[in-house]
Amino acid sequence: MSIEHKTGRPIDELIREGEDPELLYEELRAAFEQERSKASTPQQGQALRDRWLGRRSGLLSATNDHWLKAAPRELKPVVGKLQNLLRRDLEAAVKAVAEAAVQEQAQAEPDLDATLPGPERARGAVHPVRLALEEVLDIFRPLGYTVAEGPEIETFFYNFEALNFPPDHPAVDEMDTLFLKDGALLRTHTSPCQIRIMESKSPPLRYVVHGKVYRNDTPDATHSPMFHQLEMFAVDEGITFGDLKGTLEHFVRCFFGPRTQARFRPSFFPFTEPSAEVDITCPFCSDGKCRICKQTGFIEVLGCGMIDPNVLRNAGLDPQRYQGFAAGFGLDRFAMLKYSIDDILLMYQGDARFLRQFR
Amino acid sequence: MRILLSWLEDFVEIKESPRELADALTMAGMAVDAVESEAGETVFEFDITSNRPDAMNHLGMAREVAAIYRRPLRAPSTACAESGPPAASKASVEIQAPDACVRYVGRVFTEVEVRPSPDWMRRRLELCGIRSINNLADLTNYVLLEIGQPTHAFDLDRLAGAAIVVRRARNGEKLVTLDGEDRDLTGGHLAICDAERPVALAGVMGGQATEITAETRNVLLEAAWFRPSVIRNAARRFKLFTEASHRFERGADWNAAPQAADRIAALLARTGPGQVLPGQVDCFPQQPGLSPIRLERADIRRHLGIQLDDAEVEGILSALGFEPSSDSSGWSVPAVSHRLDVERGIDLVEEVARIHGFANIPATLPSLGAAPELTPLAAEDARMRAAVRGLGYDETIGFAFISSDEAERFGSGDPVSLRNPLSQLWDVMRNSAVPTMVRALEWNLRRNQPFVRLAEFGRVYRRSEASYEEPSVLTLGASGTARQASWAEPAREVGFYDVKADVAALLAPFVPDAPSIVTKGVPSYYRKKHAAGLTSEGDVLAWFGELDPELARERKIRQPVWVAEIFLDKVYGRGLRRPTHRKLARVPAVSRDFSLLVPDAVDFASITEAVGEMPDLDGVEPVEVFRGKNVPEGSYSLLLRAWWQRLDESLTDEEVNEFAAEVRSRLQSRLGIATRT
Repeated sequence: MSIEHKTGRPIDELIREGEDPELLYEELRAAFEQERSKASTPQQGQALRDRWLGRRSGLLSATNDHWLKAAPRELKPVVGKLQNLLRRDLEAAVKAVAEAAVQEQAQAEPDLDATLPGPERARGAVHPVRLALEEVLDIFRPLGYTVAEGPEIETFFYNFEALNFPPDHPAVDEMDTLFLKDGALLRTHTSPCQIRIMESKSPPLRYVVHGKVYRNDTPDATHSPMFHQLEMFAVDEGITFGDLKGTLEHFVRCFFGPRTQARFRPSFFPFTEPSAEVDITCPFCSDGKCRICKQTGFIEVLGCGMIDPNVLRNAGLDPQRYQGFAAGFGLDRFAMLKYSIDDILLMYQGDARFLRQFR
Repeated sequence: MRILLSWLEDFVEIKESPRELADALTMAGMAVDAVESEAGETVFEFDITSNRPDAMNHLGMAREVAAIYRRPLRAPSTACAESGPPAASKASVEIQAPDACVRYVGRVFTEVEVRPSPDWMRRRLELCGIRSINNLADLTNYVLLEIGQPTHAFDLDRLAGAAIVVRRARNGEKLVTLDGEDRDLTGGHLAICDAERPVALAGVMGGQATEITAETRNVLLEAAWFRPSVIRNAARRFKLFTEASHRFERGADWNAAPQAADRIAALLARTGPGQVLPGQVDCFPQQPGLSPIRLERADIRRHLGIQLDDAEVEGILSALGFEPSSDSSGWSVPAVSHRLDVERGIDLVEEVARIHGFANIPATLPSLGAAPELTPLAAEDARMRAAVRGLGYDETIGFAFISSDEAERFGSGDPVSLRNPLSQLWDVMRNSAVPTMVRALEWNLRRNQPFVRLAEFGRVYRRSEASYEEPSVLTLGASGTARQASWAEPAREVGFYDVKADVAALLAPFVPDAPSIVTKGVPSYYRKKHAAGLTSEGDVLAWFGELDPELARERKIRQPVWVAEIFLDKVYGRGLRRPTHRKLARVPAVSRDFSLLVPDAVDFASITEAVGEMPDLDGVEPVEVFRGKNVPEGSYSLLLRAWWQRLDESLTDEEVNEFAAEVRSRLQSRLGIATRT
């Protein structure tokens, strides 16, 4: 009679037939050991578990019913102990089998290739001009500057006259400026916005103006008929040239790197007096020997100055009471410098291969 | 402008190395582009700003050096031996146009002989980039480079009546200029004439008929001062830009005219041969008024932020040729003829500042002044840009010019036309940003880009009554696959619903409820029935769809391209929706699926509308839309899923079954939709 068959019979009968409870459990354990040795896959492990430890039809559930529950009162402690001991051992063994099987299967599976690329997720690029703009705005916003854009189609008055350009200044010519048929023009710089803001708001003023500007230039690697300018200005009582210097020194250090030094060189613009060009120490070389600074160690980056009293007056402010400073530069040029772009026309072709470099 | 170190040293002592000198001048506003060493000479290449004609010569530059180092300036020698009858007895000068010619100085030289110049003079001219011609021409060029005063030598014997008359040309008068060109003069042109005819275009170029030749024996030298605007107009009119016009149109110095004439005389007497007749013929009807300038002590501090010693201020101004006289509050400074750019106190502040050195003005920061103003629409714009990036669109920027043809095809109304366009393809300002986007898409498709997503934030331009409007528009362009191709996922072409989803996602932060879809009024550059608009409260917020395939083909685009226009002014104007938290339900929603057979004429919007206002309904979604096999012609099969939920309690099966029955009954009765079994 197989041990499996014996589990289906009450233990008192088996004892009467000469079986010994201890030996019965030994026999059962031996049968389990034999089956266990053959179980290697997770499925076999599960089958082993179901057959022996299954809640309804497992062999241990049968011995519980037929051996333990049916045991005569005097044998109950012995059988109970044997039953519990076996259950404990079997549970541990089954668990070990299952773990070994999982481990074995994992070893047999080929490794996942972590170097394959995941499917590319959507992430759009920021245009380099915009990228440069955002960097600049992040520098000026904490200093209390408000951002404005202003119209691109301008009047002669705002673009030239109010900015103290003499009427026969070369920039006023069709050679340089794009005019509309009715005499309006495409702004050649962002400075007209200075006037518009000074006319409509009262000092103190702290503004950054940016946007598209236009020149009658045939496109090539360094010229574009449309490009982007940024201009910052402050008007208040007590604003000085020293304030202009401090503000721009802070700005170039933030934008071009903490070791950047600014050099203020006297220059000339119709709308500022005194006027200056700002050169920065070349951020690309430390010895003044690179192509970008043309071996001079300095790069000219922006024009600035104290707002000319005539300009303040033209905008309706009293130049005896207020002073202001203004500085302007080409965002395209800043972006080109910072991101090593060698052709301005790349900015306006919409070539995705170019744009995606700025993701 | 090329300046020789040795020539500067004629007028000012220089102890510094050429490099040091170049740096000092650069930092005073005379930008040195290069320092070169040529044939043993140091040559500076200057880039001089247009407001400083006074520095476009060696004496003027030496004045800058003298000011920087506070060293004395020596004027060039004009001492010369004169002989013979007075010049005024041999030639006459008359100014008939005193508004245009303020001063005209004549000098007469006799018994000259035209021959090569001495070596030292030729060498200096050539180092400055001027070709040597003969001793008389070279003398005028030499003094131009030295003092900055343009002069001109006439063959006196060929001047009719030995007379100079400065007058407006008469209509029909002609002049053959030195370059051999026939010039037709009109009443607007200022001419130098002899007793009979024009002999030179004033301040621009001399005439052939009276030029110096090998036979010239007697010379009338002109040193004059012309009004800058007169010379600028003449140079532009004849497209004749000469060394002389360059100086005059930026403003010469009327007091340099007699000095230059005397300097030439002195040099001629030295280099010979030739006789200098005594005296100048100086016609200077009225000295232009020069107003005194006020420089307030307080203004120096007010503008620069520093206080300078009186001695420093006076030292700088005197070195620059001004004569300041101080009083209790500042200085009174007469304007000077060699610095016509200095007219106001602020101009003097600048002079003081640049010679004192911008580097010596300490950097400070302005106070905040007032609470900063918030930038309008900054939050709206930032949100929109982040969303566009998040959807995978690469930001592009295109030119704002398009052709009138494009304007007609893509825009409406009168386009904004340019008077002097760069090209016929760019003759108007764009009234639609779509053609710009189509060009960018085309550019990429020609370069075999399989996945293109572009977005442009820009403006369009249109007339608005007497003025212009420049509304902002966000343009999207898409073509190729719906996602970048990957080994891990099958590729799919981008389609209408992809673009619709993107547009809806971009509008979501601004429009509290889903915007309505309109299919009427879609612009004609979209493909019919493959485009739509999103509206809210009557405003069209966006158009989107496939570009008309005919238009695409004209542009050699052979695959569907998708475009969307989002009208940012209207969208931003609505403001960002402020999110409001709603309580979360404690129990999950319950759903039921409905397999429906829907007549073609019934769209999804009518279905949601029909079931939309049921109580406890949480949402309906289309799970599957199918046409074709087993679906009768004229209808489509729709698997619709509806969700119900109550905030605080579970719905019973019986309740949900009742809801489902209500859905079926509404669809049947309102829309004639049968439920499939």
